[in-house]
Amino acid sequence: MQSTLFVLVPAIPLVLGVWFLFTRRFRPLAAGAGLSLCFAAVIALTLTGDGRMTLFAIAPGVTFLFQSDGAGRLFALLFSGVFLVAGIYALTYFKHEKNPERFFAFYFFSLFALLSLCMAGSLLTMYLCFETLTLCSFPMVLYDRTKEAVAGGIKYLLYSIAGAMMGLFGVIYLTLHTVSPAFVAGGSLEAGLVQSPSPLFLIALFICMIGFGTKAGMFPMHGWLPMAHPIAPTPASAVLSGVIVNAGVLCIFRVLYFAVGPEAVRGTWVQTTLLSLSLLTVLIGSAQALRQKHIKRRLAYSTVSQISYILFGLFLLNSTSAQGALLHTVFHSLMKTSLFLCAGALIVYGGTANVDEMRGVGKQMPATMISFAIAGVGLVGIPPLSGFLSKWVLSQGAVQSAIPVFSWLGPAVLLVSALLTAGYIAPVVLPAFFPGEEGNALSARRAPDGMLIPLSVLAGLSLLFGLYSVPLRNAVAAVIQMLW
Amino acid sequence: MLLIAVLIPIAGSALIFSLGRKGRRIRRWIAITSTVATSVFVCLALLTEPGRSYVLLEFTPRMTIAFQLDGMGTVFAGLIAFLWPLAMVYAFEYMEHEPSENAFFGQYLLSYAMTLVIASSQNLFTLYFFFESLTLATVFLVAHGFSRRSVYAARKYLYYSLGAASLGFLSMISVLVYSDTTAFVYGGIPALQQAPHTMMLLLFVLGFFGFGVKAAVFPLHGWLPTASVAPTPVTSLLHAVAVVNAGVFSVARLAYYVYGPTLISGTWAQTLCLSMAAFTILFASARAVHEQHLKRRLAFSTISNLSYMLFGLMLLTPLGLKAGLLHMIFHSLVKITLFSCAGAIMVQTGRQYVQELRGLGRQMPIVMTVFAFCAVELVGIPPFIIFQSKWALVTAGFQSGHIVGILGVVVLLISAGFTAAYLLKPAVTAFALPLERRAGEKRDPGWQMRTLFFVMVAAMLSLVLLGKPIADYLTHMVGL
Repeated sequence: MQSTLFVLVPAIPLVLGVWFLFTRRFRPLAAGAGLSLCFAAVIALTLTGDGRMTLFAIAPGVTFLFQSDGAGRLFALLFSGVFLVAGIYALTYFKHEKNPERFFAFYFFSLFALLSLCMAGSLLTMYLCFETLTLCSFPMVLYDRTKEAVAGGIKYLLYSIAGAMMGLFGVIYLTLHTVSPAFVAGGSLEAGLVQSPSPLFLIALFICMIGFGTKAGMFPMHGWLPMAHPIAPTPASAVLSGVIVNAGVLCIFRVLYFAVGPEAVRGTWVQTTLLSLSLLTVLIGSAQALRQKHIKRRLAYSTVSQISYILFGLFLLNSTSAQGALLHTVFHSLMKTSLFLCAGALIVYGGTANVDEMRGVGKQMPATMISFAIAGVGLVGIPPLSGFLSKWVLSQGAVQSAIPVFSWLGPAVLLVSALLTAGYIAPVVLPAFFPGEEGNALSARRAPDGMLIPLSVLAGLSLLFGLYSVPLRNAVAAVIQMLW
Repeated sequence: MLLIAVLIPIAGSALIFSLGRKGRRIRRWIAITSTVATSVFVCLALLTEPGRSYVLLEFTPRMTIAFQLDGMGTVFAGLIAFLWPLAMVYAFEYMEHEPSENAFFGQYLLSYAMTLVIASSQNLFTLYFFFESLTLATVFLVAHGFSRRSVYAARKYLYYSLGAASLGFLSMISVLVYSDTTAFVYGGIPALQQAPHTMMLLLFVLGFFGFGVKAAVFPLHGWLPTASVAPTPVTSLLHAVAVVNAGVFSVARLAYYVYGPTLISGTWAQTLCLSMAAFTILFASARAVHEQHLKRRLAFSTISNLSYMLFGLMLLTPLGLKAGLLHMIFHSLVKITLFSCAGAIMVQTGRQYVQELRGLGRQMPIVMTVFAFCAVELVGIPPFIIFQSKWALVTAGFQSGHIVGILGVVVLLISAGFTAAYLLKPAVTAFALPLERRAGEKRDPGWQMRTLFFVMVAAMLSLVLLGKPIADYLTHMVGL
């Protein structure tokens, strides 16, 4: 049963992707049904429990295998769920665009790569899926075929490949120095290296983290993200910013907690440097977001900042902060996707992408702007919205970790960044509802239901999780508990 | 069998020369039948008489021209036997656009024979002898058409090759001073192990650069990009596979079969050669990013990839030898296809520069798809074949424990990033950007060129899963 699902889960989106690549006529129903089918398959996989399957070996020691474990299933559910909702939005969004089938081909390819990444059972498999993901997702950025789109797409491609190569350096080193080729909760590094980490090990690990951090937009390899994400068509920006960046998070999570193990890294210069880099990225991202006028660019910089919250939590290497990180992954994914979908509706039906011109749009597009407000305020982290919960757990973890400096610097930076987040969300939301005396700036129309329902579903989910998150927290706690 | 295999192309080439400029059909028949026949005989020789040695000529008892197909020779001979017929068919279509076909095909066949002899030489003397002959057989192919640029390129090629080969000569002749024989022995000629150590290292380094000139190791790399003015079948087969791999092959012979890894390992000589290879990798791939002429860009890419192989070889471990040879095989397949794409673009649309590729994905879908596929391959994205050989290289680098070995791994990965920049970027613009003006109908080349593309892509894809026997064979050969 499970081995069938191991094949089925990636095969469904792959087959659909190939079909859309070669078909001449676009069939929206097939796309929607396909996405639902993927989601259903992932749910079925979730129900089957842990397992492992060897795919193929290209040389002795170079084996590719899939496995199903708590962490992978959590990410797979999140990814396929958000892809489903954003895909439904895309069906309406692309009604008036040329060649939607080409977009959907790469949309399905990206989902294929993402789900394979979730199921990757060894470092090598993970690296393979990571590269595949880059190649599958960058054509979505190229969709408009303008000079800027191509430049953005190529920047994404080159940054990602450079990052993947850095990741590969660590992957090779770790493959040679771990006891088990497959992922093991808590890591399986050679005992000698755990006791006394050699300089080469630390350098390899550091380069690896920077490399996979590229996809997650971590400084210093974040430059591509604010270029590439906004230039893609909105549904693509939404999944790039809301889902695909999490691929970097997942890879870092896997390397740190399933291959190396937290013990070997704790207290080394690698941890300190990574913590500093992630906090720096949090600040850089929020500060840059403040300066952007284009709404999608603003949201893209916000992604840079928010993803580094997650990375900060992972780098702290204690169970509370790791839980916070996973929670924030889920919440950020829901909120950011929703925000981008709202932005897309605003751009198409409001007629502007400039955040200063959105006065009074809240009256004309109430559902869109209410969703935007819910997701945006959640991003700031005001209770009882979900963003608060994850940030709270993250800060708690930072204090508990008792790492000098970072145990108080971390929460302080999170707080400052929350203020900055409020600074870049509020100027969009407030004038939209309270235009003041100048009145409306735009003649906006209501977006069609095909777009409204997906974006409000995501915003609603983020609200729901803020109010009632017990099952999710239990699931996350179960994933983290395995590691200690 | 082996002798027949070598004599067929020589005879064929003589026939073609004697035919003169007339009779295109007959010439082509001679060319293709002799190429295919040679390849068949090579395969027969590989299967039926591995390890058997022939002595062709005996100048003195110490200097003999002798042949033997051992493990490493089998790899090289098998590789060219597979590629030559394909390149020949490709050349038929390509050379319709070029003058003096008879001279071209004559020399093309002749260089097949020379490369085969290099692959199957049994001692260093034979290797050196035919190493020089290969230069002479191919120099007029570079000068083909005798335009000013190609004559300049040919002269440069000649000076570099012959000049550096004199270093190789010094190395070869000194081996005769210290040893009674130059016959290859895996692990090194025993007599040399007792010879003065510093002297041996010095001679090895001379030999490394002398034979390494054909593998375009820095600072002797200059001829290769210049030589890309030659007709594409020459650049694709000779300057991406046969000639340059002969350089790598000779260095491997020198390091593992003449001087021996135990003698060189851990000395300054190894450090020097490794560093040179690592530097060449970085330098050439960075130059490739800046180069705007497509074929020259590919030539720089070849330089960098050849140094991958040299790097693997100079790790002086069995794993390193295996990885170097594996990369030699896989890189050949990919690079010959890339050059063939560039050639097809040149003859069909006249475009030579990277910027001109924009929008070509519409006009030449087959060629550009193949090009993009090869670009992905060459970057080393798993599970494709170049990934397998690069994986072997980097694990060998890590496990050698040599400090330059580990630095080299970093260099290899940086260079992979450069590869993405110089190959994937044009591939993306070719598909993503629209044509600058409506250029109309499809311009994919005819069946002769397509044959090469289809066979090569099929080979690359099937080797993803079937590459294991090759790797196993090499593992067995290096004695792991």
